[in-house]
Amino acid sequence: MHSTLRLGGALVALVLLLMACAGPGATTAPSATASAAPSAAASEEPTAAPSEPGASPTPTPPPAAEAGTLTLWVDETRAPVLTAIAEQFTADTNVPVAVYQVGFGDIRDRLQLYGPSGEGPDIVIGAHDWLGQLATNGLVEPLDLSAVSDKVDPVALGAFTYDTGEGGQVYGLPYAAEAVALYYNTEMVPTPPATWEELIELATDLQADAGLGLEQAYVLQEKDPYHSYPLLTANGGYIFGKNDDGTYKPDDVGLDSEGGLAYGRMLDQMVKDGLLRAGVNYDTMIQLFTTKKSAMFVTGPWALPQIRESGVPFAVAPIPAGAETARPFVGVQGFMVSAFAPNKELAVSFLTDYVATDTTMQSLFDADPRPSTWVPVAEAIDEADVQAFIQSASNGDPLPAIPEMSAVWTDWTDALDLIFTQAQEPDPALQDAADSIRALIAGS
Amino acid sequence: MVQLTRSLTGTRRRPMGMRNQRRIGLAVKLVVMFLGLIFALLPVAYVISASLNPANTLVGLGLIPRDITFDNFARLFTSPLQPWPRWILNSFIVAGTTAIIVTSLTALAAYAFSRLRFRFRRLGMIALVIVQLFPNMLAFVALFLLLDALKDVVPAIGLNSLGGLILIYSGGALGFNTWLMKGYFDTLPVDLDESAMVDGATHVQAFWYIILPLVRPILAVIGILTFISAYADFLIARVMLSSTENYTLAVGMTLFVREYQLEWGTFAAAALVGAAPVLLVFLIFQRQLVGGLAQGGVKG
Amino acid sequence: MTTRTQGAPGTGAPLSVSAILFRIVGLAVIDAVALVFGIGLWYGGLGLAAVVLAAMTVVINVAFLSDRLMPVRWISPGLLLLTIMVVYPLLYTVYIALTNYGQGHILSKDQVIARFEDETYSGKSYSWVAYRSDGGEFLIWLSDPEGGEFLGDVQARTIAPVERADPRFGAIDPADNLPVAIDGFQKVPRLQTFQYLTRLAAERLQGEIDGAPAEIRIENLNTASLGQQKYTYDPARDVLVDNETGTEYVSREGFFTAPDGRTLTPGFAAFIGPANFVRVLTDPGIQGPFVGVFIWTFSFAALTVLLAFAVGLGLALVLNDKQLPAKGLFRTLMIVPYTIPGFIGILTWVGLLNPLYGPVNGILESALGIEPRWFQDGTLAKVALLLINTWLGFPYMLLVSLGALQSIPSEIYEAANIDGASPFQRFRTITFPLLLVALAPLLIGAFAFNFNNFTVIDLATEGGPPVPGSQTPAGQTDILISYAYRLAFAGGRGQDYALAAAISIVIFLIVAAITLVNFRLSRRVEQMV
Repeated sequence: MHSTLRLGGALVALVLLLMACAGPGATTAPSATASAAPSAAASEEPTAAPSEPGASPTPTPPPAAEAGTLTLWVDETRAPVLTAIAEQFTADTNVPVAVYQVGFGDIRDRLQLYGPSGEGPDIVIGAHDWLGQLATNGLVEPLDLSAVSDKVDPVALGAFTYDTGEGGQVYGLPYAAEAVALYYNTEMVPTPPATWEELIELATDLQADAGLGLEQAYVLQEKDPYHSYPLLTANGGYIFGKNDDGTYKPDDVGLDSEGGLAYGRMLDQMVKDGLLRAGVNYDTMIQLFTTKKSAMFVTGPWALPQIRESGVPFAVAPIPAGAETARPFVGVQGFMVSAFAPNKELAVSFLTDYVATDTTMQSLFDADPRPSTWVPVAEAIDEADVQAFIQSASNGDPLPAIPEMSAVWTDWTDALDLIFTQAQEPDPALQDAADSIRALIAGS
Repeated sequence: MVQLTRSLTGTRRRPMGMRNQRRIGLAVKLVVMFLGLIFALLPVAYVISASLNPANTLVGLGLIPRDITFDNFARLFTSPLQPWPRWILNSFIVAGTTAIIVTSLTALAAYAFSRLRFRFRRLGMIALVIVQLFPNMLAFVALFLLLDALKDVVPAIGLNSLGGLILIYSGGALGFNTWLMKGYFDTLPVDLDESAMVDGATHVQAFWYIILPLVRPILAVIGILTFISAYADFLIARVMLSSTENYTLAVGMTLFVREYQLEWGTFAAAALVGAAPVLLVFLIFQRQLVGGLAQGGVKG
Repeated sequence: MTTRTQGAPGTGAPLSVSAILFRIVGLAVIDAVALVFGIGLWYGGLGLAAVVLAAMTVVINVAFLSDRLMPVRWISPGLLLLTIMVVYPLLYTVYIALTNYGQGHILSKDQVIARFEDETYSGKSYSWVAYRSDGGEFLIWLSDPEGGEFLGDVQARTIAPVERADPRFGAIDPADNLPVAIDGFQKVPRLQTFQYLTRLAAERLQGEIDGAPAEIRIENLNTASLGQQKYTYDPARDVLVDNETGTEYVSREGFFTAPDGRTLTPGFAAFIGPANFVRVLTDPGIQGPFVGVFIWTFSFAALTVLLAFAVGLGLALVLNDKQLPAKGLFRTLMIVPYTIPGFIGILTWVGLLNPLYGPVNGILESALGIEPRWFQDGTLAKVALLLINTWLGFPYMLLVSLGALQSIPSEIYEAANIDGASPFQRFRTITFPLLLVALAPLLIGAFAFNFNNFTVIDLATEGGPPVPGSQTPAGQTDILISYAYRLAFAGGRGQDYALAAAISIVIFLIVAAITLVNFRLSRRVEQMV
């Protein structure tokens, strides 16, 4: 009977172990009394912030019941600067702030679950085109930015305005806007091409020059609607038609419009002439440029640090025009308040009265040089390349935030894939894609 | 020991022709082994190359990087907002506990399914597999609500806790592993424990003293498999864990996959750093993989 | 309910003390776990789950006290966990499939009602300043743009017009023309007000303003507003009444709908019956490419298992050879792929197989002069997928085969040796059949897993390359699950969880049917042995 005892003992031990192991999860869960950002840097000195000189009349944090912890979900890029801002805010106001790092794409999907559960954040960082999902589902709170609206870039403010059926409302405080532009190697390309005709001519010449050793003079990422959109608009094409008030008409799909088809034929001809190749993804595109195996490519300001670091002499210019001015997609990033924020009023005031200031906006820009949408900061930017991106964005179209946009990407990508691999003629490829998109939108 | 001498004498008795045949067999096996190694390690070499390459990409690299840099590894450990040691510890707690729970519970269940006869036994076994076939891509919604409900009463197994994650992984791993264990139990001759039971042993004794020592290899296999799959998961973990210091390594690593700025070099470095402890665990437990009936012992 | 073995407990000697103790301890542990879960579920609003759990716990208790149900004892701890973590989510998916849970209908009805009832209208705005006593009590000074001033008492939840001559007001601060202190309440500086916002915003101050009853609430750091509740929900009639216009919104299919058909945003998740299943079975976008996608799904799953098992078993046999040197090292090296997170592994292969810049094509070109267009050609994309998936799966098969090989008694081999059987004959007649007994269910399981292996398709090819001339977004390497989820999540309105759930269930029925057939076949295998 010795054995039963041992087995019983083993089971009990197992359960105890379970409890013991589950323990850390429980004890480290953020509690309402957490005093500062629970990141490594901050949690080492939880009381450091309030003790800064002249910051606060009361040396100890107030009871948790009066000041709940303001919780922020931010991505890895912006976590350091927001942690610093949060620490300053705690020092100034005695309000504890927790900054949690969440993968950028995860923020949106997680908010959908966490928000309604009451376990969610007060504030998240996100992109304006999430609004189709977040605002339609009632997950984010409208903000009153009227007090600072003259300091926010109007395109960005417009992008964060969303109409759920009862008139447009602003759902986020924008801080940066991004659009693609043309990077070019200044050694090989002294003056940037102003039109696509010039660019094609230049690319053909450069590629013919064996001495340069170029793999591809101009690189466009394959299967990527986003980077090819300015080419579509340069040819007069569009994705969704617009109503008079500027809102999109989901039943008017313009991929196979006259301009859309011209865009397809142009890409097709470039592939046939050996100017574009299948198999080039974003990473390759960057790498070809930094190793001087390409002279021109199109992408956004996020690549600036990497390109600057490579030492290749470069400059940035607006996207060449075609029949019309090229309009890239503009993606605006900003702060949103969860509709289920445990400290909603505090969150709103933090954004309107603390983040929406010259100082904070400047530190956001300094930490990560994305074109600022805060007018005083944007006007003070003297880097020519960042300026070029701001100019490009001012020509652009905000990425459509309507939910119907989700139906567009797959078929559009497929059409580009078929054109790049020459599996289908450009006209039917785009017509099929447009028909499939129409069917998807009509079917839902 | 009995076994060892037996096999030695067995070899000695073999005729010369057989020995040559054995040598050729071994040569063939070595060739197979090396081909297998190339297939297995080619991508690993590529990951290592990416982790040492300053280009931060997974495309267009050589297998051997031209200029080697350890920046990617340095960045892992210097970035102030990423508590790596904490994440690795969390991963170990989760994966280790899950492995222990799954191995224990499947061994108990497999004993019943293999050695006892009861109504609905076959049905139960089939149900166990059928349940696992469900495409569970939406399970995260249900599991989220479940842990959210538990959070207020038992925070240790609620949302944003390692305990909750352990229970999810354990529950998910039971089905197939019970099958695997039961299949292994079935290969053990029934007379082993039956004779013990005739001598008056209980089921518990038969299980503990006779079966368990013989099934060590499969316990190790299931333990290692469960450990690795719990260690690698990020799909469920990133939904259930919300605060940075509770992340597991796999979730923490996904922070490096940003929109557009993909830090593949750092990511590859993180993957290698994360793989090292798993290999260590495997090294420790792989002795257990060999043993059981093949080495006799009990039968002698 | 009889055990095969003789002398089952209860029929032999009377139970010993420790056996009883073990039983009680085991039961206590299980009951405690169940109780903890049950309370959590019940109070967490998942009553159904709590009831299911309670029923299971009763069964387990009976099993522990009755010898007739003895086998259940061995299974019960696992069963409990399996039910909660696997079966319950499955049932929940079925429930979701019968609702409209998805874009625009994410919140529950209660949450939506709470959101609407929180809205106000005709709000006149006030700027405000807080005064705080040492005891943590508050007064609120409100000023409207026309110069009207009110003093709110947070403790009493009242407001009253300000009389500037009130003796409680001390010195006036020239900066803002407000008292520095009021009767022991100190004016809170602006930055210090943040910390009290959540607390103050929760209060409603009531009183009379301009001769009408009014309610003031604090909106943010700068403004407090006078507002009336915009919507009120009437549970008896299930309508939401707009107090401003008098419009009544009826609850219909997940929306509050006005008589003129206008709906309020957001909608809520509502039960809509089998509509999603009807759509799965009738939608031409789903039905059209079904046969082609199904054939590839089946081949993909079957070939993956076959290849991974062949590679894994082959290497296990080699590693099992006692004469092989450095077995431990080789074994460890073979497991390395399994320790690299799957998604990195997949993306690494995509990089390796890049048609233009991948090392694989570099080697192939210099050795054989060919440059296969991996991922750009349908057949090659399928080959690449199988290659990647074999790499992902073989270490599992290797480990499992290694374990299973240990269970084959060496006596059998020795007997075969004496009979003079060749190694291949031994493998074919002894090893392989015995392995199949242990591993057949695992292979079936691996088949089912790969049947639904969304991750590898999504990361490696995203279903591509596309089919030229196709009117649906099904690509050449799409399997059922990847295509289905593309329809559900990249469809016309974004995420449609309910449709995804319905598709999951249909796919589940297909896989379950295939598996049951497989089991029939494998039983025959089992009987052959």
